[in-house]
Amino acid sequence: MHAIQQQYWAVRDYLSPVLKESKFKEHGRITPEEFVAAGDFLSYKFPVWTWEKGDASKARDYLPAEKQYLVTRGVPCLRRATSLAYTDADEDAERLLSFGDSSGTADEWVETHAGRGATVDSAANLGEIDDIPDLDGDGLASAMADVSIVSETGATVGETPDLDDIPDMEEEGLEDGEDEATMAPVVPKAGGVIDASQIGVANGNLLQVRTYDVMITYDKYYQTPRIWLLGYDENRTPLTPSQIFQDISADHALKTVTIEAFPHSSTLQAASVHPCKHASVMKKVIERMNAGVVEEQLAARKNSGKHQDKDGKKKWGFGRKGAKEEGVKSPVEEEEVEGMRVDFYLVVFLKFIASIVPTIEVDSTTAF
Amino acid sequence: MPVVQFAPFASLVQPGFWHELTRMKIDVLRLSEDAITVNGSYSVGRSIRDRETGHDIALGCNLTVGEDAYQKAPQLSPMSVHTTGIFKNFNTIEDFKAADKAALINDVVSKIWDSIITTKDTSLLTQFLLITFADLKKYQYFYWFAFPAFVSKPAWQISENGWKQADEEIQGHFQLESIYDSLLKTTRSFFLVKEIGGITEVGSIEQYEEFFAGVAPENRVIGFLDPSALPENPGWPLRNLLTFLRAVYPSQTSSVRVLCWRDSERPTAGKPWRSRFGVVSIGEGDPTTKPSAIGWERHPTTNKLSARVADLAPMMDPKRLADQAV
Repeated sequence: MHAIQQQYWAVRDYLSPVLKESKFKEHGRITPEEFVAAGDFLSYKFPVWTWEKGDASKARDYLPAEKQYLVTRGVPCLRRATSLAYTDADEDAERLLSFGDSSGTADEWVETHAGRGATVDSAANLGEIDDIPDLDGDGLASAMADVSIVSETGATVGETPDLDDIPDMEEEGLEDGEDEATMAPVVPKAGGVIDASQIGVANGNLLQVRTYDVMITYDKYYQTPRIWLLGYDENRTPLTPSQIFQDISADHALKTVTIEAFPHSSTLQAASVHPCKHASVMKKVIERMNAGVVEEQLAARKNSGKHQDKDGKKKWGFGRKGAKEEGVKSPVEEEEVEGMRVDFYLVVFLKFIASIVPTIEVDSTTAF
Repeated sequence: MPVVQFAPFASLVQPGFWHELTRMKIDVLRLSEDAITVNGSYSVGRSIRDRETGHDIALGCNLTVGEDAYQKAPQLSPMSVHTTGIFKNFNTIEDFKAADKAALINDVVSKIWDSIITTKDTSLLTQFLLITFADLKKYQYFYWFAFPAFVSKPAWQISENGWKQADEEIQGHFQLESIYDSLLKTTRSFFLVKEIGGITEVGSIEQYEEFFAGVAPENRVIGFLDPSALPENPGWPLRNLLTFLRAVYPSQTSSVRVLCWRDSERPTAGKPWRSRFGVVSIGEGDPTTKPSAIGWERHPTTNKLSARVADLAPMMDPKRLADQAV
């Protein structure tokens, strides 16, 4: 059934026309050219993002051969989204991004823990987060178990036997003794830099640092970018789908995030945020920001840019910590008031994605 | 003086590598167990500040192999370097277990040593070894990496000052800026830095003698792209680089000023550079005989010398994927 569905999607994708006319401000969708422009801007400003060509046989002809999709590797994810359990105190930290016209709840997006880093005192917070729920102890994970993934032996994914513990794979006497010049694996030390693989030891299982490879492709049918995730645990073992869902905000796991075939590889499967709502959400976000940017540009022309830096931070109302002043300055300098440029599309897009995967530091644009 | 402790490489295999291996096994390798060359890469060590606790967390000293490992010239992101590995896939799990691991790693070690002694070039210093067994029906991949490293006798020691932030030790930001610019243009695994009259120059290790001719020892720096992010532990590549320097230039390298390059981006105003600097030295020894070597990767959970398994059934098995899609 799933295979048929994927075939159907492939055909639909093939038949749907390439968007030619740019209307990203009107409906939030972008053309392949705009995707490339926005991707160029993103990879220029933030070199952690690079263009990839992917599998040549899967190349899309409406994109340049060398610029098929964007990738950033090893994005850290310190905590599980499921561990950001709600308490009463957290309720304020949740921002409902309601861009609701009359259509109701369908247009609402939850940005979880919007102010968490800034508002919660780190020392006081330590006590609250010390249980990371186990896979089966947690609501989402048990919901996952219900939707099956039952292997042939009947064991659910949560009980996957630890294949790494195969006793006779160990080699005795391959190397004699300990080598004094090799770093000892246990280095928990207060205050210093902690090695990711030792984080569990150091903090009493407070943190399990996962890393993600994040890809952005262009979805021709929905005419928006689409995000893909491949995860690794702290021992660099690939994550299973149910483990990946732990890093996705509970409002979106299993609803908008699913495991699907990655379009630029013949066999690879990755978790993906379904793009059916991207355009409408992006439209709302862009509308808001564009109004701010236009206002800013008008003000800047009047004030001849005296207070640019100060005001620049307000412009990105949706962004965390006023991320990208540098980028915003360039339209300010231009004569015409043109509002937000399409180059910023992916920067904005990443902020939106960051609300779906709150613990994956995918939005590198705030780190500066 | 404390012994320098190197942070070992940790292997990171992207799922794409296993997908590609599946294809290779069926279409190209078939029953062949011959060793082939694959590509891996490593980049500067990264750390991330945990916003809740304020700790810096090092993200591991990773050597990555991906989908493009079998291609000739894989794409690289900035501040990453490419390295080659010997790859051997076994047809049965029994062969995989029975393989003479000591002999396999000795072959690679000998090749690296020969490249040091005869061609005096650094391109093989980080060569790795990877053995696998692919259970294609179960989507399970057994694998074991080795990152051969020579054991120096006596061991290298770090000076009393220890490892310091590079900008504290190297005069001001000026030098680091020019090193950064040079590395951004051509990222090298290993490099030399000298300073003459306030001007910083970067050169390749192979030109050691010409490059450092007439340069006072305190203006010489040996640099390498450091995949470790731990403040007291330089990454694995430095080990073989030091062996190389000892073997090729024994008279000038009993004490070496080392720059561990860890900056992938120019730091923003007010932030320090992440690179580390230290002076390491070594006692009397015979640098021209082949030292012993180690290098099989330890299992990350047990810390024993053993192979690992990547179980990709949840992401590859069509049955399980179909069940998961609701």
